[in-house]
Amino acid sequence: MRLLRYWPWVGYAGFVFLVSLWMGQQSYSWLPPQATAESLLIDDLFSFLVVLGTIVFLGVFGVLMLAILTSQVSRFDISDGPPIEGNVTLEVVWTLIPVALVLWIVTSSFNVYNQMNIRGPMDVVHLHHMGMEPAYAATLDEEGQPIEEIEVNAKQWAWTFHYPKQNVTSTELHVPVDRRIRLALYSEDVLHGFYVPAFRLKQDILPKRTIDLEFTPILKGKYRLEDSQFSGTYFAAMQADVLVEAPDTYQNWLKQAAATKPTPAFNQAYSEYYRGEPNKPVEVGWASVPPAKPPLVNQPTPEGIDEEVPDKKGIEKDMGEGSRE
Amino acid sequence: MSNIAVENLGNGSESEPQSKPPEWRRYFSFSRDHKVIGIQYLVTSFVFFLIGGFLAMIIRAELLTPKSDVVDRALYNGVFTMHGSIMIFLWIFPTLVGLANYLVPLMIGARDMAFPTLNAVAFWMVPVFGLLLLSSFLLPNGTAQAGWWSYPPVSIQNPGREVINGQFLWILAVAVSGVSSIMGAVNFVTTIVRMRAPGMTYFRMPVFVWTVLSAQLLQLAGLPVLTAGAVMLLFDLTFGTSFFNSDKGGNPLLYQHFFWFYSHPAVYVMALPIFGVFSEILPVYARKPLFGYRVVAISSIAISGLSILVWVHHMYASGTPGWMRMIFMFTTMCVAVPTGVKIFAWTATVWRGKLRLETPMLFALGGVIMFLFAGITGVMLGSVPIDIHVNNTYFVVGHFHYIVYGTIAMGMFGAIYHWFPKMTGRMYYEGLGKLHFWLAFIGTNLCFLPMHPLGLQGMLRRVSSYDDQYAFWNVLASLGGFLLGMSTLPFILNIVGSWVQGKKAPDNPWRAIGLEWLVPSPPPEENFEEIPIVISKPYGYGMNEPLTATESPEKVAATQ
Amino acid sequence: MDTSVTPEHLQSAPEKDGIPGEHADNRMFGFIVFLLSESMVFLGFFGGYIALKLTTADWLPPNVDGLEIFNPAINTAVLVSSSFVIYFGELALERHKLNLFRLFLFATAAMGTYFLVGQAIEWNGLNFGLTTGLFGGTFYLLTGFHGLHVFIGILLQLGVLIRSFTPKHATPENHYGFAATSLFWHFVDVIWIILFSLIYLWQ
Ligand code: HEA
Ligand code: HEA
Ligand code: CUA
Ligand SMILES: [Cu+2]
Repeated sequence: MRLLRYWPWVGYAGFVFLVSLWMGQQSYSWLPPQATAESLLIDDLFSFLVVLGTIVFLGVFGVLMLAILTSQVSRFDISDGPPIEGNVTLEVVWTLIPVALVLWIVTSSFNVYNQMNIRGPMDVVHLHHMGMEPAYAATLDEEGQPIEEIEVNAKQWAWTFHYPKQNVTSTELHVPVDRRIRLALYSEDVLHGFYVPAFRLKQDILPKRTIDLEFTPILKGKYRLEDSQFSGTYFAAMQADVLVEAPDTYQNWLKQAAATKPTPAFNQAYSEYYRGEPNKPVEVGWASVPPAKPPLVNQPTPEGIDEEVPDKKGIEKDMGEGSRE
Repeated sequence: MSNIAVENLGNGSESEPQSKPPEWRRYFSFSRDHKVIGIQYLVTSFVFFLIGGFLAMIIRAELLTPKSDVVDRALYNGVFTMHGSIMIFLWIFPTLVGLANYLVPLMIGARDMAFPTLNAVAFWMVPVFGLLLLSSFLLPNGTAQAGWWSYPPVSIQNPGREVINGQFLWILAVAVSGVSSIMGAVNFVTTIVRMRAPGMTYFRMPVFVWTVLSAQLLQLAGLPVLTAGAVMLLFDLTFGTSFFNSDKGGNPLLYQHFFWFYSHPAVYVMALPIFGVFSEILPVYARKPLFGYRVVAISSIAISGLSILVWVHHMYASGTPGWMRMIFMFTTMCVAVPTGVKIFAWTATVWRGKLRLETPMLFALGGVIMFLFAGITGVMLGSVPIDIHVNNTYFVVGHFHYIVYGTIAMGMFGAIYHWFPKMTGRMYYEGLGKLHFWLAFIGTNLCFLPMHPLGLQGMLRRVSSYDDQYAFWNVLASLGGFLLGMSTLPFILNIVGSWVQGKKAPDNPWRAIGLEWLVPSPPPEENFEEIPIVISKPYGYGMNEPLTATESPEKVAATQ
Repeated sequence: MDTSVTPEHLQSAPEKDGIPGEHADNRMFGFIVFLLSESMVFLGFFGGYIALKLTTADWLPPNVDGLEIFNPAINTAVLVSSSFVIYFGELALERHKLNLFRLFLFATAAMGTYFLVGQAIEWNGLNFGLTTGLFGGTFYLLTGFHGLHVFIGILLQLGVLIRSFTPKHATPENHYGFAATSLFWHFVDVIWIILFSLIYLWQ
C-alpha cells in the first residue's frame, strides 16, 4: 500500500485544517464588540485571513520542525546531506499556491471594501478641477431613510461634534442605531484620526479639508473614540465617548441639548498643560504647542471620566469668551 | 573538500598581540581596508543598538502601567521618535552595510571594495550623524517628537520657536545618513558588478551577494526621493515655505508619499540582506545545497522591483481615495509570492539534511520562523478593510518588531556568530551563544506577540497612556521587553570574552563552502594571495566539487 | 545626445588588477550609477511639483500672472548648446588637439556662467519670493537646486581645465575627470529641459 506511506501527512494536513478553522472561530473574540454593520464584514474577512494564515504558518512550521527534530546528527558526523539542488515541479507548485492565495485574499478584501462603501477621501485632483465639493444626489440611504449628518471637528487636542440641523455642539458623539450616519471630518491644525475600535473604522483627518465617512451603527452602547493619527504632545489624551442610542433616546438628547446653555467642557490636554492655572502653563521641560481652550458645548461629557480632573474652577474662570472660533 | 587541519593556525601566534600592539588601533583609524571598515560599522552600530534599546526599555517601562507616569508626555514622544530613528538609521542600515562590507569582497573574490576611500568616508559619517542626532537630547526643547515618519504639520510646528530644534537636527542627520548610504550603494553596486573574480558569474554568486545587490539598488532608487521630501520639509520648518503646511495652502499628504516611497522599500533594504544570511547559514549547518538557488537569487531582485510599487499600504487610512487603496492592496500582496518562494526554499534546504544546531543555525531557524509569522500578519495588514481597523495600532508595531527584531536582529546575531571566527580568528563560546538564543527567542515572542491582541482590540501606538482594559497584555509585553534587554548581556560577554581570549579559530571551522572560507582567519589585508578562479556553483555540499581552480584562466574558460 | 560613454569606457577585466579603485573605468561606472540615483532626486521634485500644481486651487499668487518666458528661453538655448560645445571638446581631445580642447571647455564654462547670471537676473526681477505660496516655493526650490548643479558643473569644468595644464592629465587614454564632467553636464542639461517644460511651458 503506497498510500499508507502518506498517512502521517494526510493526518497532519487534517490537523492543521481543523486547528485553523478553530482559530478562525476564535478570532472573533480577539476583537472589540461589533457595533457597526461594517464590523460584521470586516470580522468575517479577518476570520478568513486567520484561517488561511494559520494554515500557511502551521504548514511551513510543521515541516520545518519535523526536519529539525528528525534530521539532527552528532557534531562528529561529518557526512553531508543529499545534494538536492532543486525540483522544478515543486518550485512551480509552491509559486502557484501563493499566487492563488493572494488572488483569493485580494478579491475577497475588494468585495468587502466595496460593500462597506464608507466613502472616505475623494480624489483631490478631481475636486479642484471641477471646482466643487462632492455633492450627493440624495441624502437618503438604501432603505430610503434620511442620512444623519454630523460634523466632527478635531484640534490639538479636543474633539467636538456639531449637529447642524439642531445647532447642537457636544464633546460626546451621539448617533442613532440602525441608521446610516455620515460624518464630515474636519481638522483645524494638524493630522488627526477618527477611530472607534468597536466600529472598525478609521480615517485620517487632513487639516483644512473635509472628508466624509459613512457607516451604520447596529449595537447600542457606549464606546471610545480615539485619535489615531499622531498629533503631538497630548495625542494620547485626545479621546471622546461615543454613544449609540435608540432613535428616540437620540432625539430626546438632541432636544435637551439644544435647550442647554453652552458651557466649557472638560479637556484632558488643557487640564494637564495648565494644571488649573490658565495663565501660567506648568514648566514641563520640552515646549509643547499649547492645547486649545476647552470647547464651549451644549452637552459636555459628564464629569468623572478621568480621575485626575484638576481644579476645575481655574478652567472655568478662563472660559468667559468661549473657544470655538 | 574542506577538511582543513585545525592545528595549522593556532600555534606560534599566541604572542602576536604583544608583538603587534597597534593592531587594535587600526579600528580607530581612517582605514581603507573593507574588513576593518566592516568591523567598524558593526561595532559602532551595535553601540547605537544599545542606545536605541535603552530607549525601548524606557518605552516599555512607561507602558507597564496605563497612566503616563514614568516620563513626561513630550519626553515620551521624543523617546519613541528617537528609538525608531536610531534603530533604523543608526543600527539596521549601518550594521547591514558593515556585514556586507566585510563579506562581499571576500565572497566574490575581490581584494577590496571598488572605492576604498569612499568607503571609509561613508563609514565615518555614521558616528558624525549619530552624535548629531543624539545631541538633540541636549537642546532646551528636546529631540524631534513627531515619530520616525516626521509627518507634517506636527513636525513643522516648532513650539519652542528655535531655528535649531530637534526636528532640524533630525532632518540634518537623516540627510547625512542618506549621503552616506548613497556612497555605500554606489560602492557596492560597482564592486559587485565589476570586481568579481574570474569565473564568478552572476549565477555563481552566493545569495548573500545577490541580496546585497538588490538592497543597494533599492537604496539608489528610493533614498533620493526621501532626500527631496526632506529638503522640502526643512524649507518648511526653517525658511517658512508652504509645501506641506496646510495653514498656507500646502499639502501634508504629499510628504507622506515622499516618505513612504522610500521608507517602504527601505524595509526590504533591511530585510533582504538577512534573507541572504539565512540562505548562507542554512546550507552550512544542514549540509545540503541551497534548494532552488537560482530562484532564490532572482526572487531577491523581484522583491526589490515589486517593493517600489507598494508604498501606499502605509497610507490606506490617510487621504487615500478608494481606487488607490485597491491598486496598492493588489501590489502589496504580490510581494508575498517571491518571499514565499524563499521561505519554501529554506524549508526544503533543511529537509532531510544533516542538521547541527550550533548557535548560528539556531538564530537562523528562529529568524525564519518569526519571519513567517510577521509575513502573515503583513499580508493581513495589506488587506485594506483590516488595515483600516488596525492601522496605527499595536498590531502594526507587533508586525514590524517581529521582523526588525525577530528576523533582522536574530539573523544579524546568527551572522555575527557564524562569521565571528573568520573576522576575529577566535571561536565564540557555544554555551553562551545558546543561552543568548533562548533568551532572545523567548523574549521576542513574549514582548511582541501580546502586541497583536492589543492592536486588534484597538490600542493605538505612540500613546503614553492607555485605557485600563489594555493593561494585561502590556505587562506581558514589558516583561518580554526587559527579558530582551537582558538577552544582550550574554552576547556582549561572549563577543568581548572570546575576542580577547577565545580559542583560536581554524580557517574553516564550519566546513563551509565559499571563497571567504578558503583564506586564513582573520583574512590577510589583501584577502587573497592570488585571485581565485571560480569553477563551480556555490553551496556544493555533498557534491565533492572544488570551488576554485588553480588552473589557468584559459582552461577554466574552456571547461565552462 | 551623448556618445561620450561608449561601452569601451565601461569594459574592464576584473581579473587583471591588483589594487582596485585605480580603475578609471570603475570610477566611470560608479559615476553613472550615482547620476542615475541623483536623477531620482529630481524625479522626486518633479513629482512633487506636478502633484502640488494639480491639487492647489489658487496656484498663482494674487499679484502674479505667470512667468515671462522670453529671457529664460534664450538662457535655455545657451545651456543646451553648451552641451554640444563640450562634446566638440571631447572630439578635440580624442584627436589630440589639446588647445582646441581647452578652448571648448572654457567656452562651455562661460556658457554655463551666462546661464547662471541670466537666472540670477531673472530671480532678481520677480515680484514673488520663496515663501510666496506653493508657486513661489516650488519655483525657487527647483530652479535653485538645478542652478546648484550648474554651478558644480562649472567648477568641475574649471578643475579639468586647470588640470589639463599638468602633464599626464587629459590625454585621450586618461580622461576620467573630463568624461565624468562632460556626462554630468549633459545630465544637468537634460534636467533643465524637463524643468523648463514643467515650469515655463506648462503654465
Ligand atoms: C523590515 C522589514 C519588513 C518586511 C520584510 C515587511 C514585510 C511586509 N509588510 Fe511590513 N512593515 C515594516 C517592516 C517590514 N514589513 C515596518 C517597519 C512597518 C511599520 C512602519 C511604521 O509604521 O512605523 C511595516 C508596516 C506594514 C504595513 C502598514 C501597516 C499600517 O501602518 O497600517 C503593511 C500594510 O500592508 C505591511 C505589509 C507587509 C507585507 C505584505 C509584507 C510582506 O513582504 C511579507 C511577505 C511574507 C510572507 C507573506 C511570508 C512568507 C510567504 C509565504 C509562506 C507564502 C504564502 C503566504 C501567503 C499567501 C499569505 N507592513
Ligand atoms: C530596527 C529596529 C527596531 C528594533 C530592534 C526595536 C527594538 C525594540 N522595540 Fe521598537 N520601534 C522601532 C524599531 C525597532 N525597535 C520603530 C521604527 C518604531 C516606531 C517609532 C515610531 O512610532 O515613530 C518602534 C516603536 C516601538 C514601540 C512603540 C512605541 C509607541 O508607539 O508608543 C515599542 C513599544 O513597546 C517598541 C519596543 C521595542 C522593544 C522592547 C525592543 C527591543 O527589542 C529592544 C531590546 C533592547 C536591547 C537589545 C538593548 C538593551 C540595552 C540595555 C538594557 C541598556 C544598555 C544601556 C545603554 C547603552 C545606555 N518599539
Ligand atoms: Cu489628534 Cu491626531
Ligand atoms: Cu511597507
